[in-house]
Amino acid sequence: MDEILIATLRSGTPLVYAALAGVIAQRAGIWHLGLEGLMIAGACATIIGIVVTQSVLVALIIAVAVCMLGSVLLWLVVEKLKANQIIAGLGLTGLGLGGTTLAVQSIFGTQAAVSAPFGLPKIGPAFGPFASLSVLALLMPVAVIVVWIMLRRTRFGLRLTASGEHPFAARSAGVNPSMMRLAALLIGGVLCALAGAELAAGSLNIFAQNMTAGRGFMGFAAAIFGAGHPIGASCAALFFAVVGALGIRAQIVFGDRVPHDLLLALPYIATVFGIWLSARLRGGTKALTGFGELRDQ
Amino acid sequence: MIGNVVPAVRAAVFIVIALVLCGVIFEIAGFSAPLMFESILEGAFLRRGALEQALRWGLPMFITALGVVISFRAGYFNIGGQGQFYMGAIAAAFVAEWLKGSPAALVIPACFIAGMTGGALWALWPGILRIKSGADEVITTLMGNFIASLVLVYVTAGPLKDPSGSGQQASSRPLDAAYRISNSIGLSPTIIVIAILTGVLVWTLLNRTSFGVLAGLAGRNPTMVEWQGARVWRIGLASFLISGALAGLAGTIEFMGPNGRLAGGFLPGHGFTAILIALVANLSVVGTAAAALFFGGLASAALFLPILAGLPSAAIDIINAAISLFITAKSGFIDRLANLGKGQWTKS
Amino acid sequence: MILECRNLTVRYGKVTALRDVDVQLEANRIHAVVGQNGAGKTTFARVVAGLVRPDTGDLRMAGAPITAGNVSISRQSGIELVHQSFALPPSFTVAEAMQFGADGGTLFTKKALERRWQAHLDKLDIRVRADRRIRDLPVELQQAVEIARALVSDAKLLILDEPTAVLSPEGAARLFDQVRHLRDRGVTVVLILHKIREVLAVAETVTVLRGGERVAGPLETTQIDSDRLAELIIGSASDELDEEDRAALTGAAIPAHAHASAVSDGAAPVLDMRDVSTLRDSDGPGLESIDLSIRPGEIVGIAGVEGNGQRSLVRTIAGLANVSEGTVGLDGRDVTRKSLADRRVAGLRIIPFERNVEGLSLNSPLWENWSALGLLRKPLFATISPGGFRRGCVQALDNWDVVYADVNQHAGSLSGGNAQKLILSREIDETARLVIAAQPTRGLDIGATAFVWDALRRARARDCGILFVSSDLDEIFDISDRVAVMVSGRIQAVFEPPFEISRVGAAMTGAVQ
Repeated sequence: MDEILIATLRSGTPLVYAALAGVIAQRAGIWHLGLEGLMIAGACATIIGIVVTQSVLVALIIAVAVCMLGSVLLWLVVEKLKANQIIAGLGLTGLGLGGTTLAVQSIFGTQAAVSAPFGLPKIGPAFGPFASLSVLALLMPVAVIVVWIMLRRTRFGLRLTASGEHPFAARSAGVNPSMMRLAALLIGGVLCALAGAELAAGSLNIFAQNMTAGRGFMGFAAAIFGAGHPIGASCAALFFAVVGALGIRAQIVFGDRVPHDLLLALPYIATVFGIWLSARLRGGTKALTGFGELRDQ
Repeated sequence: MIGNVVPAVRAAVFIVIALVLCGVIFEIAGFSAPLMFESILEGAFLRRGALEQALRWGLPMFITALGVVISFRAGYFNIGGQGQFYMGAIAAAFVAEWLKGSPAALVIPACFIAGMTGGALWALWPGILRIKSGADEVITTLMGNFIASLVLVYVTAGPLKDPSGSGQQASSRPLDAAYRISNSIGLSPTIIVIAILTGVLVWTLLNRTSFGVLAGLAGRNPTMVEWQGARVWRIGLASFLISGALAGLAGTIEFMGPNGRLAGGFLPGHGFTAILIALVANLSVVGTAAAALFFGGLASAALFLPILAGLPSAAIDIINAAISLFITAKSGFIDRLANLGKGQWTKS
Repeated sequence: MILECRNLTVRYGKVTALRDVDVQLEANRIHAVVGQNGAGKTTFARVVAGLVRPDTGDLRMAGAPITAGNVSISRQSGIELVHQSFALPPSFTVAEAMQFGADGGTLFTKKALERRWQAHLDKLDIRVRADRRIRDLPVELQQAVEIARALVSDAKLLILDEPTAVLSPEGAARLFDQVRHLRDRGVTVVLILHKIREVLAVAETVTVLRGGERVAGPLETTQIDSDRLAELIIGSASDELDEEDRAALTGAAIPAHAHASAVSDGAAPVLDMRDVSTLRDSDGPGLESIDLSIRPGEIVGIAGVEGNGQRSLVRTIAGLANVSEGTVGLDGRDVTRKSLADRRVAGLRIIPFERNVEGLSLNSPLWENWSALGLLRKPLFATISPGGFRRGCVQALDNWDVVYADVNQHAGSLSGGNAQKLILSREIDETARLVIAAQPTRGLDIGATAFVWDALRRARARDCGILFVSSDLDEIFDISDRVAVMVSGRIQAVFEPPFEISRVGAAMTGAVQ
């Protein structure tokens, strides 16, 4: 049982951070499909940072800076150039995936995985069997609460939500929705950096190409599944993680009798299920309309 | 025609901006940007046989991109072209295996039908989830891509595994030469004819049928079409199915033509590039053909770069990603510039 | 002078919404700004509130110049605007809706927040609990909350944009009481109105806008009569309008119903709803036991405060709602279980509530918008000739006097009146039997409004039945042969001409007839 719990927390922590970033962006009116790209950028920057500077703290600062830079880029394109959020988000994701490959190639001259000598600090033996979890896993519930308080119990959060839900109301109250979106994306950038850091340096201390494997998208899906609520989204993220952990457990139990690759697909199937369920419960998950507007003439 | 000038100018300007961003990234990563662009230009368009290579890569992407055009026009964000492409190829491979030994005149059409059906079915479930339950198709089709690529790995390492295969990449048993529609270079009259035929059919569908006009209206405003008495779900489901079938057709072509077998994770950027092609073309069929040639060239350069120039092929991924970042951008400034001749200075 | 505006000019593209408007308003009074749709009233309000930056001109508040086009600065100087369609995020609670626009309270608890704003609401005598969600409130309370929101800080000048459009006559009277109360407490109030009756009932001064220009005012309302005011509002543009229509357009007097048609009593109804109920949905309450019939050549007006089931009624007749009980008959056939496509074949035509959402695809060419109905009569994959549809469209648009440049231009580039004419040209054809006209004149200027009325009267003359839904009683009285009042999804009462505003108004508030 402990093993499954540990596996869930280990794989769920990055998902929760990504989901929180998705929730904040969604509240401010941005459907953030760049989470995947920011997350891998954060993962890559953390590992390279550790290798180059030998300091976890400096590596995290680098990762946060890179992700915030990416967030600003997305904000410029979506807000200032009025680009389609979905396509621009996918573009940012592509930039993250391609850029990290290029960076690894340029620094290490290889496309193979890069490993760091050490990773994030562990929470230590005081936590018994959970000793090998990283501090970011321990901080995860704190982050959820902080985001919840920020969104629901501060004026800033109300203004952020108003900017997404009813931008005209925000403008009428003297709030600039565009700047609120920038703030939301920047906070999301920090959370994505943490998600990437946990993914790469939480236990394996390794960076490999495409290692996020859709986790950013699953974080985005968790934000939808959780109805844009930080606690709901975190539960959704942990649900995806549990399904993944059970799949891995099933491989150990059943061995070759169940196809290994298809068990790996379980979290993705769970995500589809989650999106379908929330659509059924809430009568549609479509917040954005007008995709046909991509065509000009 | 005048109406197409503004989007074309805008696309060109933003592609240039995207390339500048790429140049900055290349320089930061420690590569010389001019050298990189020069090598890409040479690999894509200037070296001997470049056109042939651009067509080899571009034609299948053209077909998948036509599917994207249809679903985007109808207002559905089917970004699962990659998964539908894989499922088409897998279905064709199973049928080829099953009919092994039968005459090519039977096997080849059967494979095409199977491939298109496979792609269409992989687009059907997100379509139903979207239209009947309102589940966001962006996420479901994206997840469909991940699931399909795992299915592909499973199939190539399991039921269709080539026992003589070696190395890390599992692959399926090769297709009999008699069933191949091109050699490994990948361009043959058959493929060209299929691509042209598909282009003509899709153009007719979009511009000369009720479906085409209604899908265009529904894509921009489904509510209005509903109030006119349309069953919007029929239009939506049809566009999902057709777009999936086209991606499946492209998968079949890649399997029966240039590749001749399935390999785990082959052509990973196909679906994404097809979306870009459709967007750069502003969702027009003719434009899609032109854009497919351009991105086909870039795709062939991705192979050329590491081998002949010693540069990483990720550069092409970055160019594609940067273009996608900017391609849907609008700019009042460019619109005014393009409208200058028409004297339409307006304040936004 | 609390507010001084000089030379305000606002252009949207080629359209000039305001031209050189000078207005000075005295403190501590109730001012009205009147004008027809398109006169520039809302633009004026938004410029003063800082939401729209004027191209030229400047603003002074209590003698001090303020930077135009900045909401925060306008609010700091004490200007607050209550929008016509309210600007409150629907998922917020009342307390949150107050808080997000207020000063102070960076971090708070739910309890403290609700206590703070409940006290504010109580002080203003607005009876709503601070923990209720905006989306659950009826329209009248939403407006009250919006006014309370505007008064969270020390407002000196409160602008209400068309506040009576969503209210019953009684609701309007209550609002006017509250406005007087605010004036007594030292707030200067500007009411944007378009009914002379209301102007004379509440305002102390009146300023008239027409075509983006100030044509008169501020005038003392004690020194002007309603005929003079109607002339100022309408101008010379409408010489062909008769007395009745002029009165209906300006809300000067109650129309005496001179346009009645001769309906033959024996004719079978084109619409026959019997005991129809529907389920509650996102549009609000469902229908409850609706009995309604419309004979050929008859216009039946549906009156009522918005949100009382008018939309459900239209969707039920269109076949887009779930009917739980009862039957809907169309031109003698039971269509309760038929789709909208079948109903359209049977002669149903709809001018929907939301012109720009349900009526037109704004980013599609005119000819595609016009052709939709024709295309739907063909099989989905039938080949068509776009040229034929384009030619048909050109002919129809010319017949209906639509001003346009090219059938390939986007529907969104048409003015509101021309967009509505495009819909009329598509919906009112030879085979129409029942036309649903849902708020068909909302937002239209005088000429376009008269055009729509005329088109409906001509359709009536051809023996169509017409269901006319509007929240404007003057308009309903002018055009209808019979008026049904809807309250909470029921038909509260049915009136025959001559109509009396007091009785109809009483029915709108739910008083049993």
